[in-house]
Amino acid sequence: MTSQQQPTGAQPVRRRNSRSRRNQLAGLLFVAPALALVLIFFVIPLGMAFWMSLHNWPLLGKPRFIWFDNYSRLLQDTQFWISLRFTVYYTVIVTIAIFAVAFPLALYAERSRPLTKLYRTAFFLPVVVGFGSASLLWAWLLDVDSGLFSYVFAHLGLTDKRINLLADFDTTFWSIVVMVVWKTAGFNMIILLTGLQGISTEVQEAARMDGASSWQRFRRITLPLMRRTIALALILSVAGSMLAFDQFYIIADGGPQNRTVTAVYWIFSQSFMSFRLGYGAALSMVLLVILVVISVVQLRLLRNPEGV
Amino acid sequence: MKLLKIAALTATIVGALSSSALAQQKLTMWSRSTSEAFMPTLIKAFNEKHKTQIELQIVPSAEMVQKYATAAAGGSAPDFVSLDLVYGPAFAKSGVLEDLTDMAKSLPYFDQLSKAHLGTGTYEGRIYALPMSADASVLLWNKKLFKQAGLDPNKAPTTWAEIEAAAGKVNGLGNGINGFYFAGACGGCNAFTFMPLIWASGGDILVDNGKRANIDSPQMHDAINFYRGMVAKGYVPESAKTDSGKNFFGGFATDKIGLSPIGAFAIGNLVKNYPTVDFGVTFIPGKDGGRASFGGGDNFVVTAGRDNLQAAKEFLDFVYSLEGQTLLAKGGSLPTRADVAAEAVKSLDERYQIATEAMKIGRTPSSPVYNDIINSSTGPWKQMLNEVFFGNDVKGSVAKAQASMQSILDAAN
Repeated sequence: MTSQQQPTGAQPVRRRNSRSRRNQLAGLLFVAPALALVLIFFVIPLGMAFWMSLHNWPLLGKPRFIWFDNYSRLLQDTQFWISLRFTVYYTVIVTIAIFAVAFPLALYAERSRPLTKLYRTAFFLPVVVGFGSASLLWAWLLDVDSGLFSYVFAHLGLTDKRINLLADFDTTFWSIVVMVVWKTAGFNMIILLTGLQGISTEVQEAARMDGASSWQRFRRITLPLMRRTIALALILSVAGSMLAFDQFYIIADGGPQNRTVTAVYWIFSQSFMSFRLGYGAALSMVLLVILVVISVVQLRLLRNPEGV
Repeated sequence: MKLLKIAALTATIVGALSSSALAQQKLTMWSRSTSEAFMPTLIKAFNEKHKTQIELQIVPSAEMVQKYATAAAGGSAPDFVSLDLVYGPAFAKSGVLEDLTDMAKSLPYFDQLSKAHLGTGTYEGRIYALPMSADASVLLWNKKLFKQAGLDPNKAPTTWAEIEAAAGKVNGLGNGINGFYFAGACGGCNAFTFMPLIWASGGDILVDNGKRANIDSPQMHDAINFYRGMVAKGYVPESAKTDSGKNFFGGFATDKIGLSPIGAFAIGNLVKNYPTVDFGVTFIPGKDGGRASFGGGDNFVVTAGRDNLQAAKEFLDFVYSLEGQTLLAKGGSLPTRADVAAEAVKSLDERYQIATEAMKIGRTPSSPVYNDIINSSTGPWKQMLNEVFFGNDVKGSVAKAQASMQSILDAAN
């Protein structure tokens, strides 16, 4: 009996197994194009960059395998660590500034009132300008001789004569922060707006009926329910800021006195001005690891207590 | 017999084809965009008179080095390149360039060719690059402003003290007029215009065959104090602090600057585009006199392994002829062959004569890492200059640049 029953019991298991394998295969086929893209445009270039970072790879001449020499040299590279520290400082300041502007804009644009669509469009408009073009525009605005700001400041009597805002670190730095906020707050506003619109009006209504003030509703309902949206906006803003380059290159040329050279600017400079492609690759790998760590920490900190 | 005839006929046809291919050899050449005013004319004139034909491609100046290096690595480099002379040692070191020593020394006028160009074209005793186009740094002064300030408009300053005194008087005119201009955040511009101050005073930037940096020298400190003095007295416009070279020429062209060290390229540009600016041209002096100039421009290089030396010689013979040198001069480049230079610029503005004299004494630091130490916007030279001209810690900045340059040179040697 037992011997007769075994085949009948094993058949459905085999069928299940083969169906499951077929499903797995079908799933694999469905994700294959995406996998191929990731492989070709991310994994392989990343592997190549890592391979390059293990070489003395000049733009001119033959590469030479040097194991981890580029990484040990990087530890002694004072300018890289200065640039990295500056980049982190910039990231913290600019992210806070973007949120400080984008959140009120999102709250304002969320409510249905006359001209809401016009406001949303106006706030979002700078986002569609590329960073390069926006930087060129601001380079003109900040120019001491022909720029708008120095002219207006002098005309209003705020300065004795036309002021060169790019000659001093603080004025250069804050000018670029203002430019970046102008350029990106609209994008963050849209992300935050989608989060706000995802909060059920019933919850807000219920809280209001229970006597919760607007601050209490914002603090106890809006903010907690926006956790995931905020996490997304924060990660995008931090990653973007850690990779800042265009605005510092075009507006300030890393000046005054190399004090606004960001980490990516330094990588660019080492790779394409000093022609050390291998060393540039090593710097890029380190920056990548730092970015991954920062993003993981952010995700963990902003994860819902319920794990949602 | 028939077979022999066919073989002979085939050999004749192949021979004729290959000789005509040789006679009508078509070669490719790249030149950077700054040479757009004279290179196409020069190549056109050469092609019209020679069986060897050159196809010229203008490459954006900022992309030339990367493009040529990448093409050389991929085997698709052009036959000839007109390359910024400062990159000669770097390319020669990498083995990309053909050794031109024998061909160069066979030229009967070899000793008349620009020494600055040959200096950067020579690597470890062999010549890899020869002069193509040239520009020399000179000092310009605005005659109209000199006159208004009570100075003799026809008397050029010959020492730093005279420059500072003249700049002060012109600056006193007010109304947005400044005494002196230089691009304060541009490494390349200041190599061109600030280094001659040091050379003319007896100092140097690189010594021991380019292996040792000599930044922390008395001549350097003197030159820094000279510029700092003029900045502190307000003779230099505020915009100079952040000028990364965009306004290198434009400052003087505004007709509101008394004096400015600049390239000879400015002469033709001012004459053509700013005819109302009345200016004089003189040599960049040393502290107490003397003269020096930075020899800039392009060198002619041949990509290695192409067997193009005969065609290269044919082309260079044309470039260095009076006709070639005149075509270059008319297009805005200084002549690169000294014995025909005066004749080549004879029909041009007479102020070119000073520039050709400056070219004869032109110098260029030679190093495979020139770009890294001097031109790079994050390099030690640019950072130091901006700090010492406008900052507070001169001694510290110079010492830091000296150490940084030396470490780059050590790593390259």
